[in-house]
Amino acid sequence: MSVLDELVAGALEDQRIREQATPLDVVKQAAQAAPAPLDARRWLRHADTVPVIAEIKRASPSKGRLGDIPDPAALAREYERGGAAAISVLTEGRRFLGSLDDLDRVRAAVGVPVLRKDFITTDYQIWEARAHGADLVLLIVAALDDAALRRLLDLTHELGMTALVETHTAEEIERAVAAGAGVIGINARNLKDLRVDVGRYRELADALPDDVIRVAESGVFGAVELEDYARAGADAVLVGEGVATARDHELAVRRLVEAGTRVKASEARPLAEHDGPYFGRFGGRYVPEALIHALTELEEVYDEAKRDPEFRREFDRLNRLYVGRPSPLTEAPRFAARLNERVGVNARVFLKREDLNHTGAHKINNALGQALLVKRMGKTRVIAETGAGQHGVATATVCALLGLKCRVYMGQVDARRQALNVARMRLLGAEVVEVTLGSRILKDAINEALRDWVTNVETTHYLLGTVAGPHPFPTIVRDFQKVIGEEARQQLRDEYGIDHPDAVCACVGGGSNAIGVMNAFLDDPRVSLYGYEAGGHGPESGRHAARFAPGTGRIGLFQGAKSYLLEDDEGQTLDTYSISAGLDYASVGPEHAWLKEIGRVTYDWATDEEAMGAFKDLCETEGIIPAIESSHAVAGAYKAAADLKAKGCADPVMIVNISGRGDKDVATAGKWFGYLTDEQSRALEANGAHGDTVTE
Amino acid sequence: MSTATTTPSGQPLGLSHRPSPGEAMFEALRAEDRPAFIGYLPYGFPTPEVSLDALRTMVGHGVDAVEIGLPYTDPVMDGPVIQAASQIALDHGERIAGVFRAVETVANAGGLPLIMSYWNLIYHYGVERFARDFENAGGAGLITPDLIPDEAGEWIEASDRHGLDRIFLVSPDSSDERLANAARNARGFIYAASRMGVTGERDTLSSSPEELVARTRRAGATNVCVGIGVSTPEQGATVGRYADGVIVGSALVHTMLDDTGRAARAADEGLAALAARTEALADGIRNARR
Repeated sequence: MSVLDELVAGALEDQRIREQATPLDVVKQAAQAAPAPLDARRWLRHADTVPVIAEIKRASPSKGRLGDIPDPAALAREYERGGAAAISVLTEGRRFLGSLDDLDRVRAAVGVPVLRKDFITTDYQIWEARAHGADLVLLIVAALDDAALRRLLDLTHELGMTALVETHTAEEIERAVAAGAGVIGINARNLKDLRVDVGRYRELADALPDDVIRVAESGVFGAVELEDYARAGADAVLVGEGVATARDHELAVRRLVEAGTRVKASEARPLAEHDGPYFGRFGGRYVPEALIHALTELEEVYDEAKRDPEFRREFDRLNRLYVGRPSPLTEAPRFAARLNERVGVNARVFLKREDLNHTGAHKINNALGQALLVKRMGKTRVIAETGAGQHGVATATVCALLGLKCRVYMGQVDARRQALNVARMRLLGAEVVEVTLGSRILKDAINEALRDWVTNVETTHYLLGTVAGPHPFPTIVRDFQKVIGEEARQQLRDEYGIDHPDAVCACVGGGSNAIGVMNAFLDDPRVSLYGYEAGGHGPESGRHAARFAPGTGRIGLFQGAKSYLLEDDEGQTLDTYSISAGLDYASVGPEHAWLKEIGRVTYDWATDEEAMGAFKDLCETEGIIPAIESSHAVAGAYKAAADLKAKGCADPVMIVNISGRGDKDVATAGKWFGYLTDEQSRALEANGAHGDTVTE
Repeated sequence: MSTATTTPSGQPLGLSHRPSPGEAMFEALRAEDRPAFIGYLPYGFPTPEVSLDALRTMVGHGVDAVEIGLPYTDPVMDGPVIQAASQIALDHGERIAGVFRAVETVANAGGLPLIMSYWNLIYHYGVERFARDFENAGGAGLITPDLIPDEAGEWIEASDRHGLDRIFLVSPDSSDERLANAARNARGFIYAASRMGVTGERDTLSSSPEELVARTRRAGATNVCVGIGVSTPEQGATVGRYADGVIVGSALVHTMLDDTGRAARAADEGLAALAARTEALADGIRNARR
């Protein structure tokens, strides 16, 4: 006899004893006199949260006694205060130590639906549940044949109640659906590691019709399992031991409810309007508590500014009259011819010319927006990090424009290879601090900026330059950069009469120019999106900054956000390498990590060599010198065209984002292509202009 | 078979009901009317072996609880001294798996073993796996300088299952709401940062920590310890008058660095200096309320 058989037999025997004392007719009368049941289905599926059914549970056959619950009504009230959507009451007395008395007490104590959980095989038990005020009953498919299941289900519905139909296998799910179950409980634990088997759960849950509510039924102890189940598609979860044995029952339920709300928000669509803190599993605020106040203030000021037409007007005015927006969308027919010849397609290529912005890159879009926020916050000092120097220059520029004090942190390696930009920032009145700690590149500059910010947060704003870092930065920077794609879409229609591109290509370091050019197209499935990371000497060489390439990045926390990260087998950050300082970063914006996970953007990489080849191609064919960063997008255009061709699109319209101009890179390119004499090259080498060597 | 995480029937272990080790320590110290002296040292600094000697030295000379730091490449909450020590440890091949030996060392010496770690290291090691290994080594609790309670779902669950303390930080500009949030989710004690900024020694302390401790208690915390910038016995005595514990980091780590501040001194010199500094600080802190 299996455990289930034994439990069913025991429950039946107990029921018969009760029936002798209280015949069915009496129970029916009590059921009819009971207050009308609640429609539990309305509690168990919610667009914004994952409803939690919290269980009153004293013991179980597998674990034995869990704890005394002398006052189930009080416990139920704690669950309800914590946000439970329904209360499950075990009424089985032999092994679970429950009773109908528990059910009565809970029913009287709470306003949310109440589930009678027992081993139900007879009509009597259903009537009894209703008589005791239950809104829901549990039916276990494994304990019932098809006829009994259907009969009990029909009776449950007739009495205005909802049945939670428990299943363990695909076959049981099929039987439950066939019998007309509207709420199905699925148990999908991996018995090896006891974690929720998300794949298995999804497999089982996916087979269900949309109108069936999916309840995840076991092994929930906290946020981990709740998140696993919710991401696998569960509408609601049932939690027993995890809340019944918690020290603080209300808090335990609240934590689960909050985790569910967070999961729902993290997956909200449309993509173009998805705000942080979470992008799927990614994002968040992994920062010291000391920064929370500043981040919250920034979020509030930004939300307010966003709704203020005056702010919008000022931003647009400066964009137009100071930055020089809109930046043109230039068709590149001679470059397209080279690409078409190489790839064997018939593409039209359009370049989004962020290189023509004031200061020569897209970075000014965000710097200007944030600097206006700084004014609004009443802060007087701005700090920033910079890799290639473009963001540092943009920040120094807007600080000069708006009369803000500015300090830029720059890794020593980067400062040497971008000596001209360092001079430029100093000309603009900024203080440039060369960071000699760690690897002396972008990430170390960010560390120092964060330390400065933690110390001076009252007067200082950290003007982060990319869509990485803690919330709200990824959202704010995205919003200030999305003008790139919005303009490009409009220009393609107005100037060229083309409704939409087939592909958009951008380089991805932290990812702000890519998010900026892609945002307007995220919800248009006709547009393929391609992001290109810095492949350095190739992902297998270990000398690169490709976080998304197979076998490179892993999910981790870095500088405030959960995202993909280049780390060693101890979780220590790896040194990155790229010929372009602006892409040389160990992590990547959390929205990109999400867009990769959901398959919306295709990420690939371009090596130094490919990027420099594309750099030259664009110079020669179009008279445009792109930044080496942007050259990764240009190199990517060849790869994207090949991909589109493979997908059957032989005459694609492609937009390539030229995120910045390449004047700053002429020393590096001159050396790469051998246009400088050895003597000239050595002279530049001596002050580190190529970035290969750094002297202490 | 029954293991640390499963019952005989293969069900997951429920929630641990082990009493908070941190609270037990503060309870005992309260009876003596003295604050706890909590000392920080990065594991593996200057080498894994010497760091174990250093931990024993600290406990032997008056530290009640040890905050064992896990060296990290990107320690954004740390000033130059701890950055340098962490780098030295990493350069000498520090491995996270070794930290559990340090935990045992502290426990065997009679101190309360705490770990302080940036979150990526724990996340990478595996939160549940870390909690299990830490519990098995006799660990008491984890201090998380860059993990706020709002992001700590996985850690809250793992620490509940393994009966470990969760020490969250608060800072002088934390709102009352944030203080309550920390107090509600913490176990053991709350780490109150004496000032806005990163770790490091200071000649003077402002009066803000006293106010912060009072506010944190009003927000619901039982035990509040003050750290960051506490470097002298006098400062320890001042803080110890109102705080439940005094946390000293850079001032102890400093004793084992040479004059350049970027390399370690000879081990015996370093340990002797550490012992002397620990003793002096312990004297100030233990007698804070006399």
